[in-house]
Amino acid sequence: MAKEIYTKYKMAKYLRKEALPTALCPGCGGGTVLNAFANAIDQLGIDPRDLVVVSGIGCSAWIASPYFLADTLHTTHGRAIAYATGVKVGLPDKKVVVISGDGDLAGIGGNHLIHAARRNIDITVILVNNFIYGMTGGQVAPTTPFGAITTTSPYRNVEHPLNIAETVTSAGASYVARWTTFHVYQLIESIKRALSVKGFALVEAISQCPVQFGRRNRMKTPTEMLRWFQRNSVLISKARNMSPNELEGKIVVGELVNREKPEFTEELNSLIEEVSKHYGLGDNNAD
Amino acid sequence: MIIRGDEPEQIELLKKMYPKGNYFMQGDEAIAYGALFAGCRFYAGYPITPASEIAETMARELPKLKGYYIQMEDEIGSIAAVVGASWTGFKSMTATSGPGFSLMQENLGYAIFTETPLVLVDIQRSGPSTGQATKGAQGDFFQARWGTHGDHPIIAISPTSVEDSFWETIRAFSLSEKFRIPVLVLADGIIGHTREQIKIPDPEEVEIVYRKLPTSDEEAKYPFGDVHGDLIPPMPLFGHDYFTHVTGSTHKENGLRDVYTPEVHDRLVRRLHKKIELHKTEIQKWEEYYIEDAEILLVSWGVSARPSLGAVMEGRKKGIKVGLFIPKTVHPFPGERIKELSKNVQLIIVSEMNLGQVILEVQRFVRDEVPVIGVNKIGGVPLTVEEILKEIESSAERSRHRSAD
Amino acid sequence: MGWVITMQIRLAGFGGQGVILAGVILGDAAAIEGLNVIQTQDYGSQSRGGHSIADLIISKDPIYDLIVTKADVLLALAQLGYDSTKESLREGGLLIVDTELVQPDREFTGAPFTRIAEEEVGLALTVNMVALGYLVAKTNIVKKESVEEAIRRRVPKGTEEINLKAFRIGYEEGTK
Repeated sequence: MAKEIYTKYKMAKYLRKEALPTALCPGCGGGTVLNAFANAIDQLGIDPRDLVVVSGIGCSAWIASPYFLADTLHTTHGRAIAYATGVKVGLPDKKVVVISGDGDLAGIGGNHLIHAARRNIDITVILVNNFIYGMTGGQVAPTTPFGAITTTSPYRNVEHPLNIAETVTSAGASYVARWTTFHVYQLIESIKRALSVKGFALVEAISQCPVQFGRRNRMKTPTEMLRWFQRNSVLISKARNMSPNELEGKIVVGELVNREKPEFTEELNSLIEEVSKHYGLGDNNAD
Repeated sequence: MIIRGDEPEQIELLKKMYPKGNYFMQGDEAIAYGALFAGCRFYAGYPITPASEIAETMARELPKLKGYYIQMEDEIGSIAAVVGASWTGFKSMTATSGPGFSLMQENLGYAIFTETPLVLVDIQRSGPSTGQATKGAQGDFFQARWGTHGDHPIIAISPTSVEDSFWETIRAFSLSEKFRIPVLVLADGIIGHTREQIKIPDPEEVEIVYRKLPTSDEEAKYPFGDVHGDLIPPMPLFGHDYFTHVTGSTHKENGLRDVYTPEVHDRLVRRLHKKIELHKTEIQKWEEYYIEDAEILLVSWGVSARPSLGAVMEGRKKGIKVGLFIPKTVHPFPGERIKELSKNVQLIIVSEMNLGQVILEVQRFVRDEVPVIGVNKIGGVPLTVEEILKEIESSAERSRHRSAD
Repeated sequence: MGWVITMQIRLAGFGGQGVILAGVILGDAAAIEGLNVIQTQDYGSQSRGGHSIADLIISKDPIYDLIVTKADVLLALAQLGYDSTKESLREGGLLIVDTELVQPDREFTGAPFTRIAEEEVGLALTVNMVALGYLVAKTNIVKKESVEEAIRRRVPKGTEEINLKAFRIGYEEGTK
């Protein structure tokens, strides 16, 4: 049966058939993100040979690694963006994409996220935020909502979550957007824009983990979680006129920033051209 | 554009920038120049005493050679970027000291498991923790061997002088490229900050080694497979339409993750070990002085090897039959050769700037057949000829008494 | 002071006096002459104000020690540097001090290097070159010309002339 689905599914050509089926749980939002990413690639007409996909550790890191058929680098916990930095400097003409989770990219790897945004290196990050450390069994994360129940906040979470998209915006990224797995078409459009922008681009995809998060927070099924995303999301244009109190617990969706800024590898390459020309073999400095 | 270092333009650039001749420079700088001559064109690092001069030299020189220097937000990111760049085809390096070396261990393990060529320089300083930042030490010998978790092979090289740092860094790149394994250069804060003369050669005098690449699409399907029977898989670089998959999880020959099948893990980890074992004679290197008739064998490495040689020569002048063994490749440790030499000696002395690390390896190989004693010094000040000579003399004296009894 | 096979020289002062640069230049000069030379340093973590020591071993033979074990020459530009290094000067060794900043408790020679740098060179920062000139004149360890070449190579661009001037004034002082 699985075989039949994969032959009928148009995006299957972007997947490593020998690695399927995916290890994602039924109802996981990871599949939606993979689908959105494949559709964005397809609609932009990007040849997967021009892609390098890098990921860290965790369920969301498995979305593209190994399932997406491109050069794929599945790295250590939290460090995907730092690995991707080396890849992008080495292959500045390729699209370098990082797909990984909130705990990975914004928790243990938060520093790399901030500094890659500051450098404005041309990497597209799809950060899948499911509010939880899923693979390890549902422990509290830096993104877990205040008051939520997890296996390591069994009474309630007393910490406030990190606003990832806002943090990356302040750090200097060219493009930042946030959607949920309920907003599939908007998600595809934002991934397309993120891939097209020259500079650091982050798409935060709020995603459901019914098994490790929903189940302990009165949303046992994926549908319940998606309904929560639908009801709880506020468009950024509307959010701008709302007070912090009104926004407490809401998911602000939309495009946070889309701006032109000097890009790191371009700056680096023009520096090298300048320096190597000055010191190089040309006649201009034959002394 | 990926640069290997042996392109005619690169050779001309090297000749122009660093004409053959005598230079007066620090060990840190010599390491950087060695890397440049070996073809290293990507460096990612983070400042730390006493290794910062390597980063500074690379930041200044790499752009002249069309190479890339990037400064990362920490040492973890530095080695991560180096691994990423290596998969695009760049010969890549990072350098650090104790605290940074500790931070790099996880991604060093990743590089070992994914068979990624890179050179990691550890300018050892006194530890533990922040220790004596500006002082040299030799306390990372076992961290180099076992710092990252799990069963794994490693190659580590330890230079003994400034000029040696230049050549041994080149050798580090050669071994790393040839055997697809990270190679550690275990220098120290003393050599790193010592200035002395070095002869910079013509770039043609330097052997440039580049990793084995797949010769067909079929070969490229097995980034971790022994397709040539030498246990060294060709490396299907990113950006060459191979759709290579690389993971730090246990993987099959085709690169795909398989963390469930015991045989897959067993096969992979054993091949990594056998790869180094099979090519050990090519990887190991040592120096021997006055060992033919030696009754006392001095074993020393890195910065301590130099005053040790001075002490051996002074000892010889005094009629003491003492010889010296210097492992230049410290991992895999050339213990078999020491065992061989130990058959003809009455005593082994190991001199090093720690409280006894290489001595444990020596003891492991010679067992209880020969007594092994240490000359150990910590605090950041190098061992002197006189200090080592004193130990040689009193040992010779003791054994004379013993044979007189 | 006549040439022996090996000479151990220690320069001591506080961070910011340019002691290490003086050591590097002296070492470079020895290297230019084809002598064996090892130059090391010891300094505090702060860039200014801590102790600062530059060691040189210059020899016609291969060198096996990495640090000065017994100094033949000790140059002290500050009391702090003198106090922490005086024990390392061998008996009968040559002690050179800034006579206005260091009060030695043994036989010495020297001049008010800092004041000379301020008044005669016009830049206090060149105290290291004044003292180096004095040391080279007193020891003859390397030729004056080799040091001048090393100064041109090692000092920041644009400061060559004032450093050379300082070195020459110090050298003159040393021949007196």
